[in-house]
Amino acid sequence: MQTELAIVGAGPAGMAAAEVAADHGVHVTLIDEQPTPGGQFLRQPPVGWKVSGWLDGAAYRAGKELLGRVSADRRPEWIMQTSVAGIFVVDDGGDGRFTLLLEDSGSDGGTRQLKTDAVLIAAGCFDLPVVFPGWNLPGVMAAGGIQAFVKSQQFVPGKRFLFVGSHPLQLVVAGQIVQAGGSVAGVLFAQSRRRALELLKHPSVALRASDKLVETAALLRRLRTAGVPVRFGRTVLRANGQDSLESVTTVPVRPDGRFDRKAAEDVDCDQLGVCFGFLSSSELARQAGVDCRWAPSRGGWIAEHDATMASSVAGIYVAGETTGVAGSDVAALEGRIAGLACAVELGRLDAGRARRLMRVPARRLQQSNRFARFLADLSWPGHTLFDQLMTDPATLCKCEEVKVGTLRYQLEQNPGMTTASAVKLFSRVGMGLCQGRYCHFALTRLMAGHLGVPEDSVGGFTSRFPAKPVSIESLIGHAGVAPTEPAGKASLLRSSAAVAPRPPAAVGPGA
Amino acid sequence: MGRQVSGSIRRGPPVSLTVNGVAVTAYAGETLAAVLLANETTVFNRTQSGEARAPFCNMGTCFECQVGVARGGNTTFRWLRACVTPAEDGMAVRAGEHLQPPETH
Repeated sequence: MQTELAIVGAGPAGMAAAEVAADHGVHVTLIDEQPTPGGQFLRQPPVGWKVSGWLDGAAYRAGKELLGRVSADRRPEWIMQTSVAGIFVVDDGGDGRFTLLLEDSGSDGGTRQLKTDAVLIAAGCFDLPVVFPGWNLPGVMAAGGIQAFVKSQQFVPGKRFLFVGSHPLQLVVAGQIVQAGGSVAGVLFAQSRRRALELLKHPSVALRASDKLVETAALLRRLRTAGVPVRFGRTVLRANGQDSLESVTTVPVRPDGRFDRKAAEDVDCDQLGVCFGFLSSSELARQAGVDCRWAPSRGGWIAEHDATMASSVAGIYVAGETTGVAGSDVAALEGRIAGLACAVELGRLDAGRARRLMRVPARRLQQSNRFARFLADLSWPGHTLFDQLMTDPATLCKCEEVKVGTLRYQLEQNPGMTTASAVKLFSRVGMGLCQGRYCHFALTRLMAGHLGVPEDSVGGFTSRFPAKPVSIESLIGHAGVAPTEPAGKASLLRSSAAVAPRPPAAVGPGA
Repeated sequence: MGRQVSGSIRRGPPVSLTVNGVAVTAYAGETLAAVLLANETTVFNRTQSGEARAPFCNMGTCFECQVGVARGGNTTFRWLRACVTPAEDGMAVRAGEHLQPPETH
């Protein structure tokens, strides 16, 4: 398979880039793990379902318009339900400068190659995993995960919900649960009331993003009317239960950030939504050799880029949350700029004309970024909170079942262990199927605190191929060798049957 | 636990599958994660040490929601992420098993 521009991720950034690049005659191929485009922000109901009033609300309007246009656009090629396991630079003078190794992320397995002249990585982000005792108990979920059940599956995944966090998304998800008929025991913000409400009152923000603010204020009122307590200066201490969540112990957070453990209270609930922010999906960018920098409140390791969204690797561009978590408006604007830059890279657009075309999105990007930074700063709970939550009995690496206490002991016993990669080899932290996505943030914090060094000096886990787990059988199938053992003998074996391209069967809201 | 959102929603046609041998009905397009939670299954798998696990990210990145799945009369179970695997007619799902190779039978 061959294309000119391979776009990894069909969320707002990828869709905007695809539209602009196609406008300039670029042959675009969009790849996404979900069956339909839109990303997590616009996660669509299953193909063939009709949901009237899907994602009503001002915050989704621009995104839904983009989704509608790109879904109806016949120019890009779509490869859905597919993960990109690796990006390789090809230096053989043949077709395409890069080879992408794709794996069917539906249930059939199988890998194939896509050759391309340019790549845009717009891989999005995922909920920031926060380590506290019981965070791995069934019923404790990322708030974004709960939201995906409601948005896409039209399903309320529990009876009584509690939300804890520091990011305003938890208000949105709580509102969606209430609207869907679920019961919400409370929404707890770790920040003080003054700090949390600053967001609603800041004049420069009000001018720039009035739609969003109006919506947040309305949400707050709606939750209050529904009898949902929204509390400030309070957070989770631990999640309790045997095989599933039964209650959550909460504590007041004093103005100095310290927990007041004497005033702990238990809240009965069977679902806990955790909402402290997001981490950038930069693993693929790092695997491809793109320079990243550590910015904890903006997504952890985020991909660096110039004003045209070009990364440090010639021919690879980055856009959206991969470059720092800033929301869908910023993502779409970055995508637009990257799409123009790719058209220049591929010889379809004159550089001078591209600069002129970038002026408007660049100006809007500056404004949207200002709001995003402000939101990120106010939503950032701070290290004091993470440090107090990460107590010894908490599981730090859920895949390999390594407790915080075990790791602390190992760090004490091995003072020479000063990088995340060294700890990984020694302790198995980060070696599981999530490939360190759910422990690296906590590990970085723990190590920096223990060693008394800046977090970036701890370094990330080295990101290698495959950027998502690929079964050996899939790879063998790819190499053209028929597996001799029947599938199913080893864990995670999958069929290596040839994979037909999977276009989105029906795209567009309520299609 | 869990309930379908009501309102003006037309879901996919019904499909029949089994969860730990018990017949359940789902809508085509529903993920196994939603089907299991709708049918009171809260433990999706158990770690080597025996801890219960269930969906966390619901977007295919955390691998907490793996279940054993055999499809269409096949007797081979494979570990699949319930949050990205749609329910299909004739599927057999094993939930609550230890994270090790599901046996073939």
